[in-house]
Amino acid sequence: MTEEGPRLSARDMIERLEPSLSPWRRVRAVAALLAGLAGVVFVTALWWSEPGPLPGRTHLAFALLTVFCLAWAGYGTWLLTRRVPLFATDRVIAGWIALSVSLVTTAGLAGIAVQRDAGLGTALGVGGGFVAAALVLVVRAHARRAELLRRRRELTGGEQA
Amino acid sequence: MSDELLVVRAQLGEWAAWAELVARWRVPVWTYVRRMLDAERADDVTQEIWLAVVRGLPGLREPGRFAPWLFTIARRSVTDRLRGEYAREKESLTTDEALVEDPVQAMADRAELIAALAGLPVLEREILVLFYLEDLSVEECAQICHVPPGTVKSRLNRARRMLREHLEERGYRP
Repeated sequence: MTEEGPRLSARDMIERLEPSLSPWRRVRAVAALLAGLAGVVFVTALWWSEPGPLPGRTHLAFALLTVFCLAWAGYGTWLLTRRVPLFATDRVIAGWIALSVSLVTTAGLAGIAVQRDAGLGTALGVGGGFVAAALVLVVRAHARRAELLRRRRELTGGEQA
Repeated sequence: MSDELLVVRAQLGEWAAWAELVARWRVPVWTYVRRMLDAERADDVTQEIWLAVVRGLPGLREPGRFAPWLFTIARRSVTDRLRGEYAREKESLTTDEALVEDPVQAMADRAELIAALAGLPVLEREILVLFYLEDLSVEECAQICHVPPGTVKSRLNRARRMLREHLEERGYRP
């Protein structure tokens, strides 16, 4: 009796895993989530701080834009939680991107508030929340990467000895 | 290079470590899946397992325990396909007090063992594959099957007895 084996070679298997391991897919996922979230915050800030009563069509346009941005944020979240793994180095990069986007969003919100002379505290509060969340992500990502790098050094040293 | 080092490097996102990890564990994973399922489904399920490994590896907290983690994922995919068979099987712990002589150790012919395994029920087949073909310890088998080590031992004992009976029926004399 001849023993059978897997039909897929290691190279075939890696090729099939490539979409999940692709760096571009990870970048796309992070970009979709962050752009969606920043968009939601911007559009909502503009909508709420619009002076005077707005016509129905403007409300509809703001609502549609918000839903559109929410959909992108949802797509990014789905990709990151279900489809695309973020490895330790990716998390560090994603954390810094999140922090930059949060700072830009906060500056934008503060700019709108100053221009319309209302809601600066709220703008800074919301923006500050995003910045704080991004900072936590950056710190945790760096700690995890440092832990893995330390373990890699220990194991490599052990093998060389 | 140890599995732990490979896993740590893969968790950092090193492409070469992934290629090496797949090359090293491709056949053991497929062997487990193929012993549990038919040839048509084995390749698809193996690919599904590797996708789950790629998605789950960043969250693995103990890189040194990669093998039991990998087979836990593999088992989940297999049980999804064999849900009916697993549900039908009942654990009968009371009838296995007497230790059975190990028929697997005496078998020189691996092909014969593989043919005999196909005739066993899923729980017994699974434990023999994990313990003998994958060389996993009782503790690792217990972690993979979500049962206490004592249950693994009694299951192994029952599986050896069934295998022995099965082999004797086929006229095999170790």
